[in-house]
Amino acid sequence: MEEETQPRKFALPVDSEHKSTEFRIFSVAAPHMRAFHLSWISFLACFVSSFAAPPLLPIIRDNLNLTSTDIGNAGIASVSGAVFARVAMGSACDMFGPRLASASLILLTAPAVFFTSIVSSPTSFLLVRFFTGFSLATFVSTQFWMSSMFSAPVVGSANGFSGGWGNLGGGATQLIMPIVFALIRDIGAVKFTAWRIAFFIPALFQTLSAFAVLILGQDMPDGNFYGLQKSGEKAKDKFSWVFYYGITNYRGWILALTYGYCFGVELTIDNIIAEYFYDRFNLKLHTAGLIAASFGLANLFSRPAGGFISDAMAKRFGMRGRLWALWVTQMIGGVLCLLLGRVSSLSASIVVMVAFSLFVQAACGLTFGVVPFVSRRSLGVVSGMTGGGGNVGAVLTQLIFFRGSRYSKETGITLMGVMIICCTLPLCLIYFPQWGGMFCGPSTKTHATEEEYYMSEWKSNEKEKGFHLPSLKFAENSVSERGRKEDSATRPSDEASPAHV
Amino acid sequence: MAERGFLLASLLLFCCLAGTCYGIVLFSSLPRTLVVTASPSQGQVLVGGEDKITVTWGVNQSLPAGTDSAYKTIKVKFCYAPISQVDRTWRKTVDNIGKDKTCQFQIVAKPYDASNKTVQSFELTVERDVPSATYFVRAYAYNSENVEVGYGQTTDAHKTTNLFEVQSITGRHVSLDIAAVCFSAFSVVSLLGFFVAEKRRAKRSQ
Repeated sequence: MEEETQPRKFALPVDSEHKSTEFRIFSVAAPHMRAFHLSWISFLACFVSSFAAPPLLPIIRDNLNLTSTDIGNAGIASVSGAVFARVAMGSACDMFGPRLASASLILLTAPAVFFTSIVSSPTSFLLVRFFTGFSLATFVSTQFWMSSMFSAPVVGSANGFSGGWGNLGGGATQLIMPIVFALIRDIGAVKFTAWRIAFFIPALFQTLSAFAVLILGQDMPDGNFYGLQKSGEKAKDKFSWVFYYGITNYRGWILALTYGYCFGVELTIDNIIAEYFYDRFNLKLHTAGLIAASFGLANLFSRPAGGFISDAMAKRFGMRGRLWALWVTQMIGGVLCLLLGRVSSLSASIVVMVAFSLFVQAACGLTFGVVPFVSRRSLGVVSGMTGGGGNVGAVLTQLIFFRGSRYSKETGITLMGVMIICCTLPLCLIYFPQWGGMFCGPSTKTHATEEEYYMSEWKSNEKEKGFHLPSLKFAENSVSERGRKEDSATRPSDEASPAHV
Repeated sequence: MAERGFLLASLLLFCCLAGTCYGIVLFSSLPRTLVVTASPSQGQVLVGGEDKITVTWGVNQSLPAGTDSAYKTIKVKFCYAPISQVDRTWRKTVDNIGKDKTCQFQIVAKPYDASNKTVQSFELTVERDVPSATYFVRAYAYNSENVEVGYGQTTDAHKTTNLFEVQSITGRHVSLDIAAVCFSAFSVVSLLGFFVAEKRRAKRSQ
């Protein structure tokens, strides 16, 4: 293949875009695996901060004289900030690169976590949870970074592991914060002071992880956006077109909707499940917290499993396999959610909840096995839309089913399961001309190729300047999404463009 | 008269025992046999960690003798007034005392001697972390199996009179405020520092 200004040697095997074609989880080799570890750790820190308040609520609600409505509103606020932050983050990644975009967001939201230590009213509590929740937008930079560093055959796994291990912060915090609080209180602080001091831990963790990203990380296999743009290797893109091609791709909108009913549901459950077990089965608070933590901690393997399954399906069946796996998994998740509200014994509830967590989190991983292929130019915007859609789902489900006393929690959970099933159906409508959709095979027209699909995002004057070349390389590498059964002789294959510089 | 009193007492005792046979004691089944007073007046605000509260309790002398024969321990508690229970399910009043969350903070627990008819009293400095809310004081009488067999409270049956407030500490300290501000400023300033360093590095490598 063509050479860059100087030949690069990478620790892992790479493709023509210098993206790694292998995912070696125990390696920290720069730049690929190092980027992986930096991204999941920083994302985990943000999740820990965003959900640090729920396990300490029994103390905080007495200190600040909160009502159930205050607590509910703060919970909704904590996930609603990220709706638009995720879309903005997507655009920022496209423009400035994931390293600067994520580190900036993390350092700018760290003050909200520090200020949680000094709140004194329901309003200020709601505000700090709202602004802390913005940090959940680092999810988008995580997925963008993985999609920039890892090639099509492994991108689902890379996305799944980084997203899953970050998400498990939502479970880990339910264990960490009570322990930190108890330690500080036993050292001698009054409990109303101890919880405040405890919040410095997630805040400092968040700040340090951002420093690590800035010092040790790099946007792309070949370097950072800024350096690459200055040296001319990477063209600085126009925001308006990046945004336009992102929001006009209908597949992005469908995935945004369906992601709201796997990830959004996961966030809602993170906020309500401890209370549900505590109230319905009269458990002790720390027992209910332990069960709540196990829901989030399942992310350790369930979301990565989803990514892995997506890649495995793609190897055999191509993109159609990825779509079918996603639809089936999310449907089963919806059925289990419906069931969770109906079972009335504690052990059955725990079993159903664990099964539900596995399927719903795997669906999240499977979704981000599809997202990297929806757009190349506007990868950030599409990732942001999908991620934002996840948070919209969380806001909607909490507003409709878990606010006020219209539905009991168990009825709310059952109805949420019904909504999951309904809102997963639109996946059937996703269709790639070059790869097909769930019910239709790929188009046999001569122009239905990967190259055509990804080139349609560039205008001819931009192509003249060669801005489209990274997309071209991606198009060539994504031919693997046709699956193994495809006989490439019967389908139009990409012609190597003679315009490679 | 004495027979009626005896009948009443034994009926009450029977009800209490019947309740405890199933392990559930209902508050509505408890007789109000104790007279409890507390030093704060209606609407007074007690500051946690500073102000003192004096509570007194004793059996209602107008009740027949032998009412308190089973009482072994008296526990006096702070209880939330209805206004502090609004929209707060973790402070809910339920009849089953085992599940009732009205009275969460104990002032004192003292053994009870039925032969000693004097009114007991206790003075306490209100703890710093009793939550800011409106309270009344209630005393439960326990028998030797530690089951509630009687009660008394400073307010009426509808919990509207003789309510006082407690103001807890905020838990905030000046050192915490300063630390929070400093660390936040550090985060933002270091971000700007990184941007500047990045630009300079890119310029130098050109």
